[in-house]
Amino acid sequence: MFFLLMICSVAVSLCTGQSDAVLGSLIDGADAAVSACVKLCGAYLVWMGVLNVAKEAGWMRALAALLKPVLRPLFPNAGRAGEAVAMNLSANMLGMGNAATPYGIEAMRLLNETNPHPGVATNEMCVLIAVNASCLELFPASLVALRQSCGSVRPAAIVLPVMLSSLAATVAAVLLCLLCIRPCRSRSSYCC
Amino acid sequence: MPIAIFLLLLTLYAMIRRVDVFSAFVRGAAEALPLLKSLLPALAVFTMALRLFRDSGAQERFTALLSPMLSRVGVDPALLPLLIARPFSGSAATGALLDLFSRYGPDSATGLCASVLLGSSETVFYTVALYFGSVGVKKTRFAVPVALAAMVVSIAFGLLFSRLFFGPAG
Repeated sequence: MFFLLMICSVAVSLCTGQSDAVLGSLIDGADAAVSACVKLCGAYLVWMGVLNVAKEAGWMRALAALLKPVLRPLFPNAGRAGEAVAMNLSANMLGMGNAATPYGIEAMRLLNETNPHPGVATNEMCVLIAVNASCLELFPASLVALRQSCGSVRPAAIVLPVMLSSLAATVAAVLLCLLCIRPCRSRSSYCC
Repeated sequence: MPIAIFLLLLTLYAMIRRVDVFSAFVRGAAEALPLLKSLLPALAVFTMALRLFRDSGAQERFTALLSPMLSRVGVDPALLPLLIARPFSGSAATGALLDLFSRYGPDSATGLCASVLLGSSETVFYTVALYFGSVGVKKTRFAVPVALAAMVVSIAFGLLFSRLFFGPAG
């Protein structure tokens, strides 16, 4: 996708005779990234500090404990992976994408240990991917930080619409997963 | 206002739980710089590509081609780079969002709508590749179609809710 973008752009600038401006545009773009990072630095320091306080105060673990009964019917054969799944999803919900990824990979590894057909995804793996892809967001912390650093006067105005639309996506993902799993239960669990 | 209350509750709760708030904060903040350092190169590549795409006039042509279709379903054509980048890469989508912020402002209807879309969707292809790749799963069964369907739902509802909350964009 990235190369397509570059090739299209360079081709168009050659056609319109502006090929000398290409280098200038590239440097402008890199400048934009650098100034964004400098602006982001302060906001990230604040939010990552706050989120770590939340983590060490046990909010993530408390959320994971709350999630467990909800998750059991979705991950009936999760076994030992249940803990990692709950931690992965609660980190995602609190907008801590970077903290969520290691738990997600750990959950996949534990789910794969009991996988009867290695190389083929189990139902639990597919459900984990689906709920990760739709990621219910309670508070999109890094996005709020990004908006704040770009001079927004209402950085948190997006919290409620983000929560509602990611909730809709999560509900859709769960329903679709159940639809995909249901018909197979009666025969074998690998017919989808 | 909601953030202030959140911070107050969090600090009080952490103090009740006897967490050392200061050093917990410092430990978290210490991870900000390595994170930004790992973010910068990829972000720079994509902002460079996006800037070139816009400056060369390619974006104009591309949008002109697609905008009749997009406006029919109520999508602001300016959101196109963000929507294309989102499922593949978080830094590309962040680059597209920053580009929109610098042109329209973060509190414009377009900026708000773009933020909602970014916040309520995920890097679907990246997540699938990383998670399944880490355990060597080749047959992914219904995971990808369901994940993509969820993404479409989140974009549709994101557009709907930002229209309801912030008015039509573009």
